[in-house]
Amino acid sequence: MKTLQTEVLVIGGGATGTGVARDLAMRGFKTILVEKRDLTVGTTGRYHGLLHSGGRYVVKDPQTARECIEENRVLRRIMPFCIEDTGGYFVGTPWDDPEYAPQFVAGCRAAGIPVEEVAINQMLREEPLLNPMITRCFRVPDAAADSFLAADANVESARQYGAQILTYHHALELIREDDRIKGAHCLDLVGDDQIRILADMVINASGAWAGKIAASAGIPVRIIAGKGTMIAANHRIVNTVINRCKLPGDGDILVPIHTVAVIGTTDVPVEDPDRFAIQPWEVDLMLEEGEKIIPGFKEMRMLRAWAGVRPLYQETQASDTRDISRAFVLLDHQGRDGVSGLVTITSGKWTTYRQMAEATVDLVCSKLGVERVCSTHLEALPKPGYLHGKKAASRGTANSAETTLHAPESRGYHQLGAPLREIERGQAYGDLVCECELATLAEVQEAIQAGAQTIDDVRRDVRLGMGPCQGGFCTYRVTGLLHAIHHPPVEKSNVALRDFLQERWKGLLPVLWGQQLRQERLNMLIYHSLLNVAGLPGPKASPLAAEMYAEPERGRAAPLGQTAVTEPELTTASPGGQATGKVSASSPTLDVLIVGAGLAGLTAAWQLARRGKRVRVISQGWGANHWHAGCIDVLGQQPSDRASAPAGLNEVLHHWIAASPEHPYALAGLQPLEAALEAFKELCAAAGYPLLGSLERNWSLPTAAGAARPTCLAPQMMTAGDLARPEPALIVGFERFHDFYPRLVADNLSAQGIPARGVSLELPILERLRFVSGRLLAGLFEGEDFQAQVAEALASEIKRRGLLSTDFERVGFPAVLGLNCPLEVKGEMEALLGRPVFEIPGLPPSIPGMRLHNLLVDEIERHGGRVYDGMAALSADREGRRIGTVWSEAASRRKANRARAYVLATGEFLGGGFATRPGGLPREGLFDLPVAGPDQGRPWFREEFLAPGGHPLFRAGVQVNKRFQPVDRNGDPLYENLYATGSLLAGCDVVQERSLEGVALVSGFLVGNRIDQT
Amino acid sequence: MTAPQPSHLPHFPVEISLDQCIKCNICTTVCPVSAVTDLFPGPKYEGPQAGRFRTPDQLNPDHSVDYCSGCRVCNMACPTGVKIAEMNARARARMVEQGEFSLRNRLRNNVLARSELAGKIGQPLAPLANLALANPLLRELIAAVIGVHRHAPLPTFARQRFTRWFRRRQDGSRPARQVVYFHGCATEYYEPRVGRAAIQVLERNGFEVIVPPQNCCGLPLLSNGEFGAARRYHASNVRHLAAYARQGIPIVGTSTSCTLTLKEEAPELLDMHDPDTRLLAENVFDLNEFLLDLLERGELDTDFQPLPATLPYHAACQYKAHRLGRPAVELLDMIPGLLILESKAACCGIAGTYGYKVEKYDIAMRVGRDLFDFVQQSGAPVAVCDSETCRWQITHATGLPSIHPVELIAAAYGMRGEGGVERVMSET
Repeated sequence: MKTLQTEVLVIGGGATGTGVARDLAMRGFKTILVEKRDLTVGTTGRYHGLLHSGGRYVVKDPQTARECIEENRVLRRIMPFCIEDTGGYFVGTPWDDPEYAPQFVAGCRAAGIPVEEVAINQMLREEPLLNPMITRCFRVPDAAADSFLAADANVESARQYGAQILTYHHALELIREDDRIKGAHCLDLVGDDQIRILADMVINASGAWAGKIAASAGIPVRIIAGKGTMIAANHRIVNTVINRCKLPGDGDILVPIHTVAVIGTTDVPVEDPDRFAIQPWEVDLMLEEGEKIIPGFKEMRMLRAWAGVRPLYQETQASDTRDISRAFVLLDHQGRDGVSGLVTITSGKWTTYRQMAEATVDLVCSKLGVERVCSTHLEALPKPGYLHGKKAASRGTANSAETTLHAPESRGYHQLGAPLREIERGQAYGDLVCECELATLAEVQEAIQAGAQTIDDVRRDVRLGMGPCQGGFCTYRVTGLLHAIHHPPVEKSNVALRDFLQERWKGLLPVLWGQQLRQERLNMLIYHSLLNVAGLPGPKASPLAAEMYAEPERGRAAPLGQTAVTEPELTTASPGGQATGKVSASSPTLDVLIVGAGLAGLTAAWQLARRGKRVRVISQGWGANHWHAGCIDVLGQQPSDRASAPAGLNEVLHHWIAASPEHPYALAGLQPLEAALEAFKELCAAAGYPLLGSLERNWSLPTAAGAARPTCLAPQMMTAGDLARPEPALIVGFERFHDFYPRLVADNLSAQGIPARGVSLELPILERLRFVSGRLLAGLFEGEDFQAQVAEALASEIKRRGLLSTDFERVGFPAVLGLNCPLEVKGEMEALLGRPVFEIPGLPPSIPGMRLHNLLVDEIERHGGRVYDGMAALSADREGRRIGTVWSEAASRRKANRARAYVLATGEFLGGGFATRPGGLPREGLFDLPVAGPDQGRPWFREEFLAPGGHPLFRAGVQVNKRFQPVDRNGDPLYENLYATGSLLAGCDVVQERSLEGVALVSGFLVGNRIDQT
Repeated sequence: MTAPQPSHLPHFPVEISLDQCIKCNICTTVCPVSAVTDLFPGPKYEGPQAGRFRTPDQLNPDHSVDYCSGCRVCNMACPTGVKIAEMNARARARMVEQGEFSLRNRLRNNVLARSELAGKIGQPLAPLANLALANPLLRELIAAVIGVHRHAPLPTFARQRFTRWFRRRQDGSRPARQVVYFHGCATEYYEPRVGRAAIQVLERNGFEVIVPPQNCCGLPLLSNGEFGAARRYHASNVRHLAAYARQGIPIVGTSTSCTLTLKEEAPELLDMHDPDTRLLAENVFDLNEFLLDLLERGELDTDFQPLPATLPYHAACQYKAHRLGRPAVELLDMIPGLLILESKAACCGIAGTYGYKVEKYDIAMRVGRDLFDFVQQSGAPVAVCDSETCRWQITHATGLPSIHPVELIAAAYGMRGEGGVERVMSET
């Protein structure tokens, strides 16, 4: 076993531990710090983001208040780049005791905290969303602080002074010899090695785990883990820290930190600091309390929830954890337990971490008999390396169009807009890995090279995956980057991807409703269906995967099956307040109005228009066609195992229909499905964009992650990539195009038995552009010049890599080979390269999907139909048992759309046809049709993001009869002239089954052919 | 009823709709500007994404937002209803407020944005002013000093203002129903013929047309981030026109940009939600919209003479943004013999004052290329479009005269035409 010798060993890599390590190192101690995972994985990384002014404690705990304001000043001096000077308000809402305010002011004065009353109208000018019923407002010097960055900065400083920081080193037990602690046994989680670290003094700074560490040496230290749950709202609703002016309680602080606003927190004792749940009542409480501060808060998009445990030391057995003193606790075990060589530092607030460290190292000095003075409050902290990544991303000259009047970052504080400014300065728009949080390629590369072991580690450094899409796009990108930089065995990259998806899922589950649910459904479409991440080789999770939260108690999310059982209430009155004025005219009567322009709606429109019916499609924007693979998936529930010949799709469908009689395929029947597929193939062929395939079997096509993906009809643009064929492939990407990673694809294909190599091309024309998107590449590929450049660059790259022409017999590109004339582009490229060429669909938006959309719309319009985007359907009027009018949103009014029959094709959560609210059931938004779920009493979601069986919620849908008319409980049509098509139908989960296009096509086809009279 | 989104609640600013973004990038793929230039990273980047990094008290550093043309194609294609174009417009306004624009450009933007002022000064000197503005040397000078591109399609001043013509004609009859006509700067100073056609069409349908005092709708100011001035202009229009709305008299316009501004852009961008502003907004109509309304009620005079012609039609961005579909096409479809070919192009490029600027002219011409090709390939004598700046851009790029749909309606009613529409009539 390896042995390391040092003077001081620090256990724990949170704020306290890293602060202690820095102080030790600055005072000249040889220091090693061990942390069982990445820095700040414990409490420090899960806190509220608040740099306290101390105002919160002035009444109940003046000592803490004083400590806070002192350290507030120090931290602003030594780490301004970790702090955003938001200022703070203490506001008296109607729910707060008015007697508290004067006590609060007196307390602030006594503690030396600058406090100033603010007029309410001034407060509302600065923070317009605050509750106008607030009666008092006081300004204090609260601020927002980035604890990840602060810990990294402390570690950077500690390193500069010679300390050794060992992350992913789990201190298993202290080494005790009689009455001396001599060090600790640690496990190197990455190298899977045991190591022994010997030290003159061990500092137990492991926070909520301090009790466990001490116990390993037989020393009793009772730590209560006080769990606190927090929720981040999707954006900065406020720019000032908002505190309720009352005795400290749950959910009474709202902190703007970076791009979000965090409401918190609760305080619940839990047994195990490693395993605890986020309870529904906590989420509800946060929303309620937030609503008091910001009316309308509950309707806003909640991004994520998380919980951390506060370590609360107790000598006695107090039961209310909030009453335990907040001041920190420094235990000299020699005096307390007769054991030398160990000191425990625990509890305390993040704001006072430096002071805690100072006291600790002072004690260490006295124990070791040396006199060294603390100077951590005097020397500014250095910025960690990856912070310079943004500045390093420079593409050409700075913007010269207008004069730039950048405000110098006043006093070095972080400013919210700084990343935006840096990207503009460096013209780095096209170098974003995480678009939501503006994390650039250079930053991410730095973070990876600085020792990130998991994608979660990268996240902590550069905020990757912390924005609205919660890793929806950047998870794939960073995996590709990791793979390209480190060249690990591809299974390692695959599991890193899966781990991070799962880690993000853990914090989404408690807040999965509304827009965030819609976002996650898109993410499922991407990772489950498009990329088929579950089908990638390698283990499902790695040992470094983050801990999931425990199962919450059955709480809010009502089980399915209890959805709307009453008849839907349609009114003739106008909904909502706006647009009640003059009504805009509708056109002469339509035969059919179709709501929704996905594949289902467009297919219905196409069939109707073809038969001479007057049709109009209205849609709020475009949808799934623009996101998905541009293929026709009929059924692909089991990822096709390339090794074994798949059973004929026909057979599988027969069994499927027999086993699921409520599935849309069962309602429709196989024959119409076949007819719909044939008709669609004919249409595409006539448009010069043939689709190949049949119900005989699925294709097995490569995904942009390198997995195999089953699909029934594939465009000729993709079929040369069929993985049922053994020919070796060359996968080509572009250095500036960050939506495709050829090496990842190739290595995964090779691991599955298809020899493949990946190359990435650097093209001068792409280097000169500020950003390179799929759409842009598609346009470029339609030019002969670009095609020639690609061929040339490919030839030299092949030569440079020493590849032989026998090494590959087909060439795969990302699916960007032209939007308008893709087959020509393919032909040209094949001529230039002398080999079959195929496309691989990847991250949305989807060029192949857009091609299908365009050709359908063209066909509809050719037959006199109209397709309108930007026309969101708002509500509908009923006339007896018929739908009379559908109202759509227009500028300052509603537009009446009157037709003889109506087709609902708005999709489920992904398309926006269904919506959910916190604590609510899914509702169909336009006609208020009953949404039926499959089973009573089941939870909506599974714990595993990529759960093989899918998530129960997504089988919910609108029940229809064989004519695809929505029906009531008795099976009778609710309306004579209303039909429903597509993924909103009950009994199917089109993403999990890979049946999205099949269900859309067959239901749209049937409805389009069967609506006759009206 | 669809679930209420915070952006539908009146007291929330438009920026809150960024919460609806699911980062799908559909907007970026349809954006006509980022398709032709990399100076504009795209609607998603500028709107909902950068929006999370902006605070009112910090300088907005992001100059690329100025390359947003405000065409709103992104809004229409967004599946979740993010108000991207509005966010970009407000970000630009904040930049103006913070002094992020160079003096030259700010001056230039203001010159371009003050169409009413330009009209008041230039129109009285019409023949001279037109001659001067056609002079290449002067245009070079203007380009260098002010920043208006030397080829930018500046319109020509009319010989007589529209309102002058209107006041001179006295119509004896007193029809029962009244309607207010909002002419806008284009009709007033450059294309009074459009106004004349509109008046005649409305009168033919039994309306007395009132042309009350009114001013520029302020859209060019809004598009250039000059919110203070825009607010004054809009408030003034509200003062002049709300009274008519209160009496139930509809306000009708032929300039699709003006009507959209009165309906939606001004109230939303400027956060003007007072009752009078809303009343006006709800009672403004695009002329085609209004005529279709009449048709629906069986009150439209449908005695159209045949106009055999095949004409290319472009639905301007500001026309689609009314979100009423294609009322112009539906109306023109009623004219016997008239075949309308609709362009599939997203945008003509001019986007109000955008394409006039030296740094944006080329972008604008590239954006509109598909449309120009379409118009030229149609072989038609004129092009048809509801927006005046689009008409000027199309004519500039293709050499074809362009007309407003109402001119065809008037022609179909047998009224004498002027300008481009004469070409159509002469060929019948």
